[in-house]
Order: sequence, then C-alpha cells, then structure tokens
Amino acid sequence: MFSTIIEQVINGIVTGSVYAIVAVGMTMIFGVLRAINFAHGEYYMLGTFGAWFAIDYLGLSYEASIVVAVLSTTVVAYVVGQLVMRRMVGAPAESGVLATLGIALILQNTVIFVFGGGYKFFAGGYIEPVSILGFSLAQQRIIILVVCLLVFIGLELMVTYSRLGMAMRAVSQNIQCCGVVGIDVPQVVLRTFVLGAALASLSGVLTAPVNVSVYGGMGELITFKTLPIIIMGGLGNVRGTFYAAMILGIAESLVATYIGLQFRDTVGFATLILMLMWRPHGLFSTQARF
Amino acid sequence: MSLTDTAPQARRRDLRIPLAAVLIVVALAAPLIGTRYVTHSLIIALIFMLPAHGLNLLVGYTGLLSLAQAAFFGIGAYTAGLLAVHLNTPFYVNLIAAGLVSGAIALPLGIPALRLRSTSFVMCTLGFVIIGQAISKNWISLTRGDMGLSGIPKPYFELGPLSFAISGTTSFYYLALAVCVIGTLIAWALVRSPAGRNMVAIRENETLAESLGVPTWRYKLIVFMLSAAFAGVGGCLYAHYLTVVSPLTFQMYYSTTMLIIVLGGGAGMISGTVLGSLLFVGLTEALRVAPELRMIAYGFCLLVLVFWFKKGLAPLINRFWNAIGGSK
Amino acid sequence: MTSHLPILDIQNLSKFYGAVRAVNDVSMHVNRGEIAGLIGPNGSGKSTFFDCTTGLAQPSAGKVVLDGQDITGWSLNRIAREGRMLRSFQNTVTFKALDVEENLIIAGQMFTFPSLASTFGLGRLSRSRINGLRERARELIKMAGLWDVRHQQAGNLSGGQQKLIQFASMLMPEPKIILLDEPMAGINPKIIERVVETIQYANKSLGVSFLVIEHNIDVVTSICQRVVVLDQGSKLVEGLPQDIIQDQRVREAYLGG
Repeated sequence: MFSTIIEQVINGIVTGSVYAIVAVGMTMIFGVLRAINFAHGEYYMLGTFGAWFAIDYLGLSYEASIVVAVLSTTVVAYVVGQLVMRRMVGAPAESGVLATLGIALILQNTVIFVFGGGYKFFAGGYIEPVSILGFSLAQQRIIILVVCLLVFIGLELMVTYSRLGMAMRAVSQNIQCCGVVGIDVPQVVLRTFVLGAALASLSGVLTAPVNVSVYGGMGELITFKTLPIIIMGGLGNVRGTFYAAMILGIAESLVATYIGLQFRDTVGFATLILMLMWRPHGLFSTQARF
Repeated sequence: MSLTDTAPQARRRDLRIPLAAVLIVVALAAPLIGTRYVTHSLIIALIFMLPAHGLNLLVGYTGLLSLAQAAFFGIGAYTAGLLAVHLNTPFYVNLIAAGLVSGAIALPLGIPALRLRSTSFVMCTLGFVIIGQAISKNWISLTRGDMGLSGIPKPYFELGPLSFAISGTTSFYYLALAVCVIGTLIAWALVRSPAGRNMVAIRENETLAESLGVPTWRYKLIVFMLSAAFAGVGGCLYAHYLTVVSPLTFQMYYSTTMLIIVLGGGAGMISGTVLGSLLFVGLTEALRVAPELRMIAYGFCLLVLVFWFKKGLAPLINRFWNAIGGSK
Repeated sequence: MTSHLPILDIQNLSKFYGAVRAVNDVSMHVNRGEIAGLIGPNGSGKSTFFDCTTGLAQPSAGKVVLDGQDITGWSLNRIAREGRMLRSFQNTVTFKALDVEENLIIAGQMFTFPSLASTFGLGRLSRSRINGLRERARELIKMAGLWDVRHQQAGNLSGGQQKLIQFASMLMPEPKIILLDEPMAGINPKIIERVVETIQYANKSLGVSFLVIEHNIDVVTSICQRVVVLDQGSKLVEGLPQDIIQDQRVREAYLGG
C-alpha cells in the first residue's frame, strides 16, 4: 500500500516534469506578451512528430532525432513568431485567444494533413526499467527528471544573468518603459517565444518513448494540462510554474490510481478553480498581477 | 431637428426601411427558396446566435472575456433534454427552464470567478467548461454518460384542445427564427436601457464608473447570469433540434465559436452578432469544398480576423447603414 | 438641524500597509460650503487618505462621517450614490470611447434611477428620466464651455477638456461634496483658469463643498478657505492659506528636512 503511493508519487513527479518543461515556456511567453498561448502544446506535438519522422523515415537514432525535432520545431516557431507573435504586442486579450487558437488549428491540421490522423508507434528511447531503492523505473523517466532539473537550473541562470533574461524581466515588469531604454520588445517576444517552443518540443521528444503513441491531436491535451499550471504558478513566474507542475503531476497520478482514471484530465482545472477561490492571486504570488 | 430641416437640394432616398423589409422577407422565405441543407445551416446559425448575444453582452458591452458560454449552453441543453425525456414537458417550458437553470447556476459560479483578474477569469471560465464535461460524462445515473441523452422529442405545442408538433426542418427553422427574434429584441432592449449604458461604462473604465455610483460588481454578476441564460436558451434549441445531447456539448470549441461570432461580427453591436452568426456558418460551409484543408483554412481565417478586421465587420456595417440612410 | 455640523468629518483615520503607516491618525473636517485644501510633499499620504475617505480603500482605523452619517466601510460606489460625495482621479479621467454627452449622462444615471432593477427599464418613465438627465447634461456642458465638442469622443479631446468633462460629470448628481485629486496637474494655464471658475461656480451657485489636493500653491491660496498639511502620513498643521505658506515647518517638510 505505502510503496504504491510512493511509486505513484514518483510517476507523478515524472509527469510533472513533462508538464513543467512545457508550461515554463508558456508562462515566459505570457510574461512578455500578456497573452495565453493556446497553441503551445502544438510545439510539443511537433517535437514528437519530428522525432518520429527522423526515426521512421530517415532511420536516425533516438539521440539524433532529438536534435532534428528541436531544430525543426525551432524553425517553425521562428516563422510563426515572425509572422504572428511579434505583432501581438499590446493586442487585447481576445485577439490573443483567437490568434493562438488559429495557429493551433493550422499546426495541428497541417500535421494531420501531411501524416494522416491515425496513431503512430514511436520506436525510439530507453524503456528498459532500472531498479532504484527497490522501485523500478524506466530509464527514460530518469532522463526526463534529469533534463527537467537541468532546464530549470539553466532558466534560472538565464533569467538572472543573461541579456535576454534581463530584457525578459524588464518587458514583463513594464512594457512601456522598455521602448524608452532601448529594448526591442518584439524582438524579446520573438526570442522568448522560440525558446519556449523549443522547450515544449524537447519535452515532446523526451516523453514520446513513454507514451509510445504519436498522433496529431496530442498537443491540444498538453495545452489544456499546462493552462491551469501557469495560472497556479503565478503567470510569468518560472519557479512557481515548476512547483505547480509538480503538484499537478502528483495529484493526477494519485487521482488516476485511487479515484478513477476518467477524472485524471479534470484534476488540473478542478484544482485551479479551488485554488483561485482560496488564493485569487496564485499560489506563489502575494499580489494580483493579471 | 430633422423635422425642421427642409433643405432645398435633392436628397438621396433613405433606403434603410426598404432594406429592412427585404431582409425580413428573405428571412421568412429562406426555407422556401433554399434547399433543405441551406435551411439546416441557417438553423445552426440561429442556435448559436443566442449564446453569442449573451457573450456579446459580456465581452462587447461589459468588457469581460469569458469562455464559459459552452458550459451554460451544455447546461441548457441537458436541462431541456432531461425535462423532455423524463417529464415530457412541452417545448416552451423547457425553453424557459433552460434559461432559468443556466442563469441560476451562473450565480454561484460567477461570485468567485468575477473576483478574479482578467487572465485568471478567462481560465476559470474555461475550467467551467472542462468540469461541466467531466460531470456530464461521469454522472451516469443522470446523464447516461458518454452515450448521451437520446430520444429528445421534437418540439410540440399544446394550445387548449389543439396540439401540434414541429417535426420538419422548415417548421423548426421558423420556431428557431421566432425564438431568435425575441432573444435579439431582448438583447437590444438590454443594451439600450440605462443599464446597458452602465455596462459600457464598466467596460470603458471600471474605477471611474464605480466612482460615479455604478455598483459595478452587481452589474457584472447580473450580466454574467444574463449571458448564461441566453446560452441556456440556445442549448435548449440545440437539444430539441438534434434530439440528442452528449458530453460533447461541453467543449471549448463551442465557446470559441461564440467568441468568433461576436468578434467577427463586431463586439458591442447587436447587429454585428446577428451578422456574425450567419457569416460564421457561411464560412464553415464554404470551407467544406476542401474537407482536408478545412480546419487549416479556418485557422488562417482567424488570423485574418485578428490582424485585418480588428473590430470585426462592425465598421463596415456602420458605413453601409449610413451610406444607404440618404443624404442629410 | 445639522447645518452647523461639518459636511465631512474624518476622525483619527489611519491606514497601514504591513508595518508602513501610510496615514497615521489624521483628523480633519470640511465645513458646509467650504473649499478646503490638502497639501503635502510627494509620498505624504494625501492620496491614500483620499482613497480611504472615499471608499476606494478601507481605512485600518478611524471613522468617516458624511453629513452626520457614519460611512466608514462603505464601498466607493455606495459613497458616491447614497452619500453624494464624489471624487476625481489623477489619471483616470473620462470614458474615452464615449462622447461628451454620454459621459455626463452615465454620471447622472445612478442618482436618477431609484434601484438597480429600474435601470433595466425602457419604458416611458425611464425615457423621461434620461431626457431630464440629457437636459441637465447640456446645461453643464454649456457651463463648462464644451458645447461645440459635445458629440465628440472624449478620448479625442485635450487633457484639459477631459478634466472639464470630469468636473461636469461630478456635478451631474447634485453632489454634497467633491474631493479633487490634483485637478490642475498637467493642464495648461488657460484651462486652469476655467477649472478654477468652474469650482467657484459650483461652490457659490450650487452650494457644493470641496476638498482639494493640489500642488499649485497659487491655486490653493486663491480658492481654499482653509488648508491642512500632511507630512509622512501625519497631520503637520492646519490653518489659513496665507499663514500656511509662511509656516516654517511646512517649508521644511517641502524642502525635505
């Protein structure tokens, strides 16, 4: 009994890591653009498809497929960023919702149009289980955990010390002043967006061996999982997003085991609404910003 | 002022009343001229028109972006469906009940939600849709879960000894048209009333409105409930037209559809929403020529709407309406 | 019967944000028909004091009495609607997308309609009330010198004109007292004259009392009958304007002593 709980918590942390890598990009984009990116999960899907394509069609190894996936998603994100996201600076909230939904439809259905709508089998990755302290865990899950930690350490360093990180903080603090001090806001938005999309695709490739199946509609599900996370984490808050993703991952895993699998996908929004009633400003923020 | 204004120069004729007359005739004759398929499409437009009116009150007039419309649409559809299947109540009872139940449920949901700031509010309202779907899927004893409620009767009326059922597409069109005309008139009356002016004041500057004595919190709650009631009535039409209600009624796609109708037609304009629902259905049908590319093209249409028609069709409608209004 | 009492009496008002005492035990009053001034260096707590008085923020301690009625804890909209105490803002000025006349009509609506439910009416009574408001709005628009622009969007007008719209709006409900937060900030001298005239007209002809936060010391000395000085959240001194500007303590406070 007790060991099952521990096992479910560990599984939850792995799921949480997957969500965290996707959500952190979404929350950073919100920070600079003040828009919810409803297309964010689609970059996760693109990453998975890129890797699947590299393995199945090009015959590459899993490691090489990661590079192909992230690079190809980065190119797509750069185009979308140049054509759409840059121009959304200062647009009203409803425009943001419609524009990003439009992008989600285009990306998702283009992939379905090219590769078909059916489920595909993902062959790569390290699915051999290893035993740690009496718990068996697939190698791939350990990789996910390690990558997640590295990503967040890297992001913390980047946000604190790099030029882009400082510009990002400046834009999310006060967008009006940035023009005055010579920060190119659309450029910061573009770079943040491409970085966020690349992280989402990385998350997609890393999860693919665990999920095994690959299909066009998978991005939408991830978008809906990450939306509550970024609100709970306090929009624009990198560290808060990490904790919120972990909480949600663990909660989902426990709910699926002890209450019912059919409730798993509702956990996020149910938790979100309860939390908003309890603390309207987010779990990790003392004042309301958005 | 215009009564005493007898300028000698030749005037263009005011074509607004003739145009309105033509539109009424077209609306009434549509099922007789068009094919059954056209009538069906128009019914879909009419079903979405009322929830869109409700959303327009919220987004266009009061300035609150909500994605909860599909939740209230679903609640209305299930209310009507359950009443019709279990209690065999007549259509007009279901219609009123759907509006009342949706509006009433909006009260406990609106009280916590409306305290949230913009983005949190949007996400919270989206949450209502997701949770609504989960409830409709899992409360099997009431909703029959994924199987959905089937066998909802077509509307019928009892007037004294007379009773007649609305079974055909054409007769349902007239029923939906009548409901929509009444709904549109109610929406129009709401925004023309002093309360409508207060809604606009809240949209423009909530703190200023508050400082001029407008109880903004109560207005927001009332408008949230009204918009839910509109959505519920639309859900009732939906249930009685399709005769089936499933958990798929609760989907974000419907909320965004209603948002597209409102923004595409022009937020903050009743005529914009009417036109928006026709336009939306027209667009969806036009895209059927290339079924594989349909959703991709639809995505591009959204981007065009956001970047090139920021105010929707409203400016065009206004210009046209003034142009045919005759010279002064 | 209560005419000898002050129209607005603020007793021992305090506002704390954590350990910060933004306003500390300030008492002051405004007499019926008086134009009182509130001055003090930046950050002295004037705006917080205003917010707590008008219900935009809730005071941590103290009492606000308006025309003999305790209004402590009332919300901003209730104080405006039921107390007829109106306030202006430094930044938010007008409903920018609406025309001047609509701006004024909105300002009067909640005072003409007896209940929230009655604002949803469209009948003859509702129309006649709105027509009454429109007439009053037009009179005030004339008085404020905005007649020629009355059908223009408020947001398209100059900052000074928008200030005048705000003044006219606050006169719509026949207020007992108006609190002005830096009415002269950022407007040109010509409009300043207009605003001064409007304040004096409202004070003399309509019997409205005023409490004015203002940095322009010439304006303060010319319109205010009595001035209260705040410094670091506390009341420093109170007196006639000409005495205040001579006061050594006030000078020190302003020079950052």
